Amino acid sequence: MVGGMNHVIEAIGLSQVFRQRQGLFASARQVMAVDDLSFRVAEGSALGIVGESGCGKSTLARMLLGLLPASAGTLRIGGADLRGMDRRARARLIQPVFQDPMSSLNPRRRIGATIALPLRVQGTGRAECRRAVARMLEEVGLAPEIAARFPNQLSGGQRQRVAIARALIVNPRILICDEPTSALDVSVQAQILNLLMDLRARFKLTLVFISHNLAVVEHIADEVAVMYLGRFVEHSANAEIFAAPRHPYTRALLASVLTPEPGLGLPEMPLGEGSPDPTNIPPGCRFHPRCPLATELCRNQAPPRGAVECHFAASGAGA
Amino acid sequence: MRRAALSLGAAIVAFAAILAIFAPLLMPHDPFAQDLTHRYTPPFWLPGGSSAHWLGTDGLGRDYLSRLILGARISMLIGVSTVILSGIIGTTLGVLGGYFGGRTDAVVMFIISCRLAIPVILVALTTVFMVGSGLWVVVLTIGLLLWERFAIVARAATRQVSGLDYIAAAWAAGCSRTRVILGEILPNIAHHLLVIATIDMAIAILLEAALSFLGLGVPPPLPSWGLMISEGKDYMFFKPWVIEIPGIALLILVLGINLLGDGLRDRLGARTEQ
Repeated sequence: MVGGMNHVIEAIGLSQVFRQRQGLFASARQVMAVDDLSFRVAEGSALGIVGESGCGKSTLARMLLGLLPASAGTLRIGGADLRGMDRRARARLIQPVFQDPMSSLNPRRRIGATIALPLRVQGTGRAECRRAVARMLEEVGLAPEIAARFPNQLSGGQRQRVAIARALIVNPRILICDEPTSALDVSVQAQILNLLMDLRARFKLTLVFISHNLAVVEHIADEVAVMYLGRFVEHSANAEIFAAPRHPYTRALLASVLTPEPGLGLPEMPLGEGSPDPTNIPPGCRFHPRCPLATELCRNQAPPRGAVECHFAASGAGA
Repeated sequence: MRRAALSLGAAIVAFAAILAIFAPLLMPHDPFAQDLTHRYTPPFWLPGGSSAHWLGTDGLGRDYLSRLILGARISMLIGVSTVILSGIIGTTLGVLGGYFGGRTDAVVMFIISCRLAIPVILVALTTVFMVGSGLWVVVLTIGLLLWERFAIVARAATRQVSGLDYIAAAWAAGCSRTRVILGEILPNIAHHLLVIATIDMAIAILLEAALSFLGLGVPPPLPSWGLMISEGKDYMFFKPWVIEIPGIALLILVLGINLLGDGLRDRLGARTEQ
């Protein structure tokens, strides 16, 4: 525990490199999914991670869950190193809610058994599990008879509620939500978000909330990290980042949000064409090929590490 | 139409299973009792046939219907046992390869390729010839040869399933590797394997018939359908029913198993894609 606050997640120099081989004789390319990332999440807070596809946010989620061992760096969850942690102890600490509730529930298992699984793994008896499942179904707003159904008999929103019930049944301290609402109908998204906020307060959860939807993150997160090619290019308090974005990428993301007013037309995206390629991270500042402010300095030298990784962050140039 | 095919297949297989299980009760005569004064009695619908022997008698005067019923038992026994044996071998290899990937998968693929390079009939003939024929020799030989379909399908299905989020959720729930494989992966590939089981069962039954026909399968006096065809082949121009009856029985059983397999594939496939 460093500092006065109790940090349940501490990442120090976390990296994830995949080796990708295209074809038998091609040389392996390195995919830098997460690049030397250090951050901490305070107990009870909610960290929102935003970024476009391929920026490494889902990889980071899998690393936090212990599904993917880090290539380098350390990850401390609840004060203990995730590497070498007992799988049951890890499951009691940290649980996931995935994006697609169609594929996150085993289609051959009844809902009751799916929700009970994390508890069964902990060695809890059947009768106790049944009681806990009934309690959790009520917590997430589902009828008790749902327990006897199969996933294909439920709607998307109901399935996501089931996924949340499964995650919370072991009473974890941390919930990792990887795009928990993006596969759902808009009308259902709000319900699931409200449920998550509600449960977060009741279960005193620490939330890591990954999304490409800025409005959702603004709604739910205390702190926001903007991820670009494996790094947090800007990481500050929610109010700060939405009121006064300092990184040009953050500003571009915020500018790209569609507004409901039809007169405004499509938002302008000052990012140029193409999406970033994690197999080929640009030298200097990783954002420079798409940055409207890029100078010679940006092309040659990486910006200093910090809350905002931009050469012009301090001066506020171009804002 | 599809439903009808599935029902017909299921009915045929169920009928064969009942014959196989209750063979001792259903046989009207002792299938091994010879009666040389009544050789080649024709079946009841031909002149000279009688209700004493509904399907006539064979060259040693044994009741053909009784032998056919006991033959069903042998066919089903061989079909089911070889499928269990090859299913265990193939599924284990396929799931291991598909799940672990990398080097394990390369080894599994190599073993499958080796197996595919083996000519089944030739090896089965040689083995039975060297070891000597016998019911369990046939089961072991066929079972140890026919697992590649299971392995290939289990591997592909496992690869497909293990990337899904519910597997990740099971990991995050703290499941052990065994629990993930047995509790999450196997139930979700089982319907593919069931279809393969029907295909392999039909193949095994035909293979046994072929081996028996060549005199290297089930040893006489056990009445395998293939052996019955073999024993009757000298008379096929004079008394064609001697080979027609076991031949048609074989045809109907294999057709029934195939219809069942096709129907299951359609039904189970439709259910998972919902």
